[in-house]
Amino acid sequence: MLRQVAISCLIAVLALPAAARTRPHYGGTLHVEVDGDPMPQHGGIARRLIFDGLTRLGSDGTPVPALAIRWTSENSDHRWQFWLRPGVHFHNDSALTSSAAELSLNRSCGAFCPWTAVHAVGSSVVFTSDAPMPNLPALLAGDDFLIGLDSGSSSFVGTGPFEAAGDTSKVDAQRLVANENCWRGRPFVDSIEIHGHKSIRDQWLDLSVGRADIVEVPAEQLRLAQQQHLNVIASQPVTLLALAAADSSVLANANLRAAIALAVDRSALSNVIFQKQGEITASMLPAALTGYSFLFPADRDLTKAHELRGGLNASALTLAADNSATMQLAAQRLALNLHEAGFNVQVANAATAQHKDLALLELTLGSSQPQSALESMLRSVGVATPVVENTPAGLYKTEHEFLQTHTLIPLLYLPRAYAISGRVRDLRLSSDGSPLLADVSLQDAQ
Amino acid sequence: MKLVCLIAMVIGCLTSLRAQAPNAAPSVWQQPAAALAAQVADLLGPGQTHLTIHNLSTIPIDQIPSIRRLLVQELKARGVLTSGTESANVVRVTLSENARERLWVAEVVEGDETRVAMIRLEAGRTQQPQSTSGLTLLKQTVLTTSGQVLAALETPNGLVLVEPEEIVIFVQTPDGWHEQKRVGIGQTRALSRDLRAVIYLSPDSAGFSAFTAGSTCTGSYRSAQAETWTIHCHESDDPWTIVQPPVLQTVSAGQSTETQMNVSVTPFKAFYNAARNYFTGVVNFGPGVDLPPFYSAAQIVRSAASAPLLIGGIDGKVQLLNDGALKGVSGTRDWGSDFAALRTACGSGAQVVASGSGEASNDSLRGYELPAQEAIPASAPLAMDGAVTALASSPDGKSLIAIVHTAANQYEVDRVTASCN
Repeated sequence: MLRQVAISCLIAVLALPAAARTRPHYGGTLHVEVDGDPMPQHGGIARRLIFDGLTRLGSDGTPVPALAIRWTSENSDHRWQFWLRPGVHFHNDSALTSSAAELSLNRSCGAFCPWTAVHAVGSSVVFTSDAPMPNLPALLAGDDFLIGLDSGSSSFVGTGPFEAAGDTSKVDAQRLVANENCWRGRPFVDSIEIHGHKSIRDQWLDLSVGRADIVEVPAEQLRLAQQQHLNVIASQPVTLLALAAADSSVLANANLRAAIALAVDRSALSNVIFQKQGEITASMLPAALTGYSFLFPADRDLTKAHELRGGLNASALTLAADNSATMQLAAQRLALNLHEAGFNVQVANAATAQHKDLALLELTLGSSQPQSALESMLRSVGVATPVVENTPAGLYKTEHEFLQTHTLIPLLYLPRAYAISGRVRDLRLSSDGSPLLADVSLQDAQ
Repeated sequence: MKLVCLIAMVIGCLTSLRAQAPNAAPSVWQQPAAALAAQVADLLGPGQTHLTIHNLSTIPIDQIPSIRRLLVQELKARGVLTSGTESANVVRVTLSENARERLWVAEVVEGDETRVAMIRLEAGRTQQPQSTSGLTLLKQTVLTTSGQVLAALETPNGLVLVEPEEIVIFVQTPDGWHEQKRVGIGQTRALSRDLRAVIYLSPDSAGFSAFTAGSTCTGSYRSAQAETWTIHCHESDDPWTIVQPPVLQTVSAGQSTETQMNVSVTPFKAFYNAARNYFTGVVNFGPGVDLPPFYSAAQIVRSAASAPLLIGGIDGKVQLLNDGALKGVSGTRDWGSDFAALRTACGSGAQVVASGSGEASNDSLRGYELPAQEAIPASAPLAMDGAVTALASSPDGKSLIAIVHTAANQYEVDRVTASCN
């Protein structure tokens, strides 16, 4: 009898209307953990949540309106005018004006600024340059040119979907709360707590016990994450691991740089250090973007490297790399490769190295449009030449000419990946592989 | 006369079959082969060369010999003869592609010098296989666009899209859909991050009414004027139309006519929370009971006497409003928050099609019968190319318009119909 009652109850429960939905709910706190610095001024994960640019990259990688609603170019792309979106306010309720935008852009523009001058004109901002700026709308979507108010070093005031809350001087944790009046609509979650400087092991542990919702998965640990049945979301290959060679001092001789390019063993780097998660490349732009990357040979040729080095005796070279375990391991591996070609290379920490002949870099592919992606990448390694060509043949020529200098030796393209808890919904990655947290909602939010 | 017609039909069928035959495919490569051969001939000049072809693209391997044949022909026509490996010159052709297009690259090797020629061509598209079961849902992509689409309506005078800031009119031409007009809604600041809109055909079937968060737009079509569409938008907090009286087809004396079924004279309207993404539960039609906040509603027209309203609450519960009472519907565990009514000639004739509740990246649609308080699957799931972000019945109720946000970050406007097996 009791058994029959229990079965009847079970059937009744199963027959009850079940909760189901796909539309995002509002509310809740999202917990994010990262290995690096979460702070906005360091390009951390919080930066994109607090600040907006004049443009942003749309779904197809082309620039679309953000704080600017429209733009025009004149004089063969030497002059651009961007009209600001009306009714946008900073987090401190002050209005977004063209003067505020001009101040912010002047503040953020460094040595490799795409423009010569920027001026506020009415409700618009005008950029002028001696060189053409065909990719300016795409470049303005980048992290470097986000618009913010200068209100002190420890305060971050933007127009983005979240605003900084609490003590912004704390370097390990950042609490952000939803901007109710965000011009793109209020984000779904009420707040985001970002904990920085957490080791990957601790991040995964916190994810497993429900203390974190989104954690990082380095490319070399993607396989392990899958074996541990983590719910992983990974980008296309967006991070270019490359070796930068100084064209001065010991490496002023182009033949030595060419010998280094031939001596690196990309396959070993991919197989051993990055657990076959990288896409071997000798081109700056990935194959998926151009279709011509196979034209840049990526095979190791130690014999030719020896020939090119010839009798030239380079003194000890310093290879600087980020202090993370993976980057140091990768640098050691490259040093070994170069040693086999007759070079004497010592690995150093990039943060403390006095002198760098070689540097192991991670460059981010910011755009999915090859023309602007190439210009952005060239700018990040100090080449301020605008990329005017937009045909595959023209882009190949530009890339080929630069890589022939062997001042940058592309090695691998790596994906960016995150593991997420079961309560996270609708997490998408942007074209540079960063998580679009403002569009995330929580399953258990009510 | 009948014989002539029959012969004409047979010839027509044969012609059609021939056009679809696999051996017609190489003609697709004629133009790119000629373009690449012209560039190679410009670099190399008349003479002999050794040609190799390497395929890095998704072009099926069985088409490579045809491409090679075309390249050889086109090179020969320009004075470049392909020969064996003894030639000093080599032309290495690589059939490559990127995320957007195909790229054919020729490396022309003369001694130590290598020069490169490239041409690009459109990537091919593949058809998605359809699943079958008792009732089969069929999907036809009407339009794909990179801009966000909130809602869409097919009218006799064009396709109307509601985007976050604009109404866009597309007209059909022999080459496909072409944008004809774009009118600003006047909204430069999004009130909600999950933007939604609904659009309905106007009673004269020539225009439309569209509701978005904070605005309402109306469009009318005048065939006599050069400027065919007139669109007006204004700020509005008025309730949105959520269900229009269905236009039913009746058959009399062998002729089919469109009539409106006398189920509800006035359209059902509901107030929308413009700062969020749901209807508040406040409606214009006196339901006889307090409605909960809900995402979706659909009227299930079983007969002239029975047309309950199906409501998908923000708590995930699906309920049926009938005779002033709300009753839970079981069997909706797999439902997402978007559903719409579909009229078919199968089963009860009134089905509901609901989006899936799984991962947004592999959303699906599935037809259900609702004979009482239980949703019974009536079709196999129809896989969509991404997340279904909106679902609405067509004016005649015989098809649905689904808006799908694809994995490639594009928006698809899909027409979904059903066939009986």
